[in-house]
Amino acid sequence: MSKQLEKPTLVGQFINLRPLTADDAELTLLWRQGPRASLLNRGAQTAEDQRRWIVRRPANEYNFIIETKQHRPIGMLSLSGIDTVNCVAEPGRFLIGDEPASAGLPAAAEAMKLLYELAFDTLKLRRVWGFVASKNRRMIKWQTYLGMTQEGCLRQHLLIDDHPQDAVVFGLLDSEYRSVTLPRLKSLIAAARLPVAPST
Amino acid sequence: MANKDTIIEIIYRALRNLNEELEDEKRIALSPETKLFGPNATLDSLSLVSVIVDVETAVSDEYGRNISLTDDTAMTQAVSPFSDVTTLADYIVRQLGQG
Repeated sequence: MSKQLEKPTLVGQFINLRPLTADDAELTLLWRQGPRASLLNRGAQTAEDQRRWIVRRPANEYNFIIETKQHRPIGMLSLSGIDTVNCVAEPGRFLIGDEPASAGLPAAAEAMKLLYELAFDTLKLRRVWGFVASKNRRMIKWQTYLGMTQEGCLRQHLLIDDHPQDAVVFGLLDSEYRSVTLPRLKSLIAAARLPVAPST
Repeated sequence: MANKDTIIEIIYRALRNLNEELEDEKRIALSPETKLFGPNATLDSLSLVSVIVDVETAVSDEYGRNISLTDDTAMTQAVSPFSDVTTLADYIVRQLGQG
């Protein structure tokens, strides 16, 4: 049995984060090979590789499928590199794979809120960090808007489509999460609850 | 005094920036009626943030005023400022007209 199955499902208002399983191999491979994943690290190339990668995830990682309340998988998100000595970890592998199903939903916002609650409230971490390909402007805006600080640049750290690319390093402290990230995530989720103007 | 047409052009510019990162078939139409966020809308929260960041920055550059599109004021409106391009432009004009 995959160690991920022992992990909890995190329940939100619009989406849930449920543990990634080997049964998700084909779908997540499809997402990973889609255009939206073009600026992520190179991953598995076959469903079997992806299945093997999933079942080999260590017990100290949290790998989730983002699913709608109707249990439709729409993306993935992880918390890995959990260092219980220094109380740090790395959120990542963040991908909305089914964009049509997530349109109009605060899926990304609620997924990050649930993951950060796991990191800062449940696991009592002090800091999370990660890096983003320098050409992934939408993700850089996202992380910056949500309170992450750009802490540096790893020159040519990534090889994407056979071209070297810088990685922008981001970090977020517990205090910043509570003062900036959480209010903004709550606002984005609240925006989805507001009545919309009638069509003109 | 903020000009609504100028604000709409700022929103279009933000949508053009977003479109540069989207596949052709997923690009957002530039129209006053384009629904932005909510039921039957086109943006997910990741793309909405891209638009918010670009619009807030451009408004600050254009008018020398900082606005927040996701503060309590925005989130307590009777209808969502992100309903469509027009409602967002109207909301920004109102915000710039205050104080």
